[in-house]
Amino acid sequence: MSLTINTMINGQSVSGSAEASTSLLEFLRDTLEYKGTKLCCNTGECGACTIIYNGMPINSCVTMAADAIGAEITTIEGLADGDKLHPVQQAFIDTGAVQCGYCTPGYIISVKALLDRTTKPTAEDIEEAVSGNICRCTGYNKIVDAIHLAADRIAGRA
Amino acid sequence: MNYFEPKSVDEALSLLAKYGEEAKVIAGGTDVMVDIKYKEEPGCLVNIKKIPGLGAIQENGGNLRVGSLVTIREIETNSIVRERLPVFWEACHQFASLQIRNTATVGGNICRASPSGETLPPLLVLEAKGKLAFADGEKSEPFDSFFQGPGKTTLGYKGLLTEIEIPYPPNGSRGVYLKHAVRGAMDIAMVGVAVLITPDAAKSGLQDVRIGLGAVAPTPIRATKTEAMLRGKPVDAALVKEAAAMAASESSPISDQRSSAENRRWIVEALTRRGLQQSWQAATGKEVA
Repeated sequence: MSLTINTMINGQSVSGSAEASTSLLEFLRDTLEYKGTKLCCNTGECGACTIIYNGMPINSCVTMAADAIGAEITTIEGLADGDKLHPVQQAFIDTGAVQCGYCTPGYIISVKALLDRTTKPTAEDIEEAVSGNICRCTGYNKIVDAIHLAADRIAGRA
Repeated sequence: MNYFEPKSVDEALSLLAKYGEEAKVIAGGTDVMVDIKYKEEPGCLVNIKKIPGLGAIQENGGNLRVGSLVTIREIETNSIVRERLPVFWEACHQFASLQIRNTATVGGNICRASPSGETLPPLLVLEAKGKLAFADGEKSEPFDSFFQGPGKTTLGYKGLLTEIEIPYPPNGSRGVYLKHAVRGAMDIAMVGVAVLITPDAAKSGLQDVRIGLGAVAPTPIRATKTEAMLRGKPVDAALVKEAAAMAASESSPISDQRSSAENRRWIVEALTRRGLQQSWQAATGKEVA
């Protein structure tokens, strides 16, 4: 049974059709061609598919595409302002928080959601915000450095 | 696959009546979407998220009423839960990841009836009840009798959990929820233990004690023999040790990829001991001697 999904992605109204069994991740990647959001574990455990859904980070792989109806969604494609990267993206580059890069869009989205809530995150806030994201390359320290740098830049401290 | 978004509990119930075993209820989807992809597509998916009135947290006298569509994150960030129901709060705080907590509903965690369901040992020791809607009327059922086996509840294929009612624990009581898992975030509990105690007026013995065990039996269980043995007794280290061993013997764990049964029994013993020690200290200001 095919459903018509009218939703708002990165500030733009978009429409597409999906089956009831289609995940929001499949709908984003395969129907709408937003390939920045990554498919990895497909069971809600690794965070590669993280998007911001009505202001909250969620795993799009275990969310129904049908739940996008009437929702506001932000994907990694929605962060940069033209050629100017979002402060979180720039901080990941500047601190070297990327190796293979596959987990990076999910991380950046989780961190953006965190810094939308607070620009003075505690160590506990940071751990909570990204403990649902797995990175097999970096060993996490550089990611934490990037989060601090992005927070400082957004708050005008750096 | 048929798909419906009922707008009322009655409409949902009539869909469940019509499709019977073919129907699968979905809310947050964090478990059901995985089943759809890796196990089996149901004949009919009933998305209950559009039903109004199931998403509130409300105080009602000495109870907190939590709608079945309330997310784990909404519970975790609710100040009344944190203050009045810290054992329940702790389980929601330790629940999977932020992404999952933002989506998963408390009703889904309960109705999934996984032996390792994070919220279940706390709900058992808090003596919470579910409000169950059936075509022939509503009933209130304690979670003690609600769970029938892994994935099985008294809802069967025809009922819907609409609300949970959690009584505030007695004055002076303290409790903890302790989870053992290899990894903190995202990991399913190898063992979960909830403890809630009320010391007697002299703060030397236990007026009341409740112990809930998760992931060590086909359903979450209360360690009722251990509770009966402890009730009314003066608390000392020997009693706590005896209780911990007894709780382990009340569990009937399986061996799986997360742990052997033998290891799970040891963990039940360790967590029960720690849970009793920590709760006693929190309630009386004294260490178990």
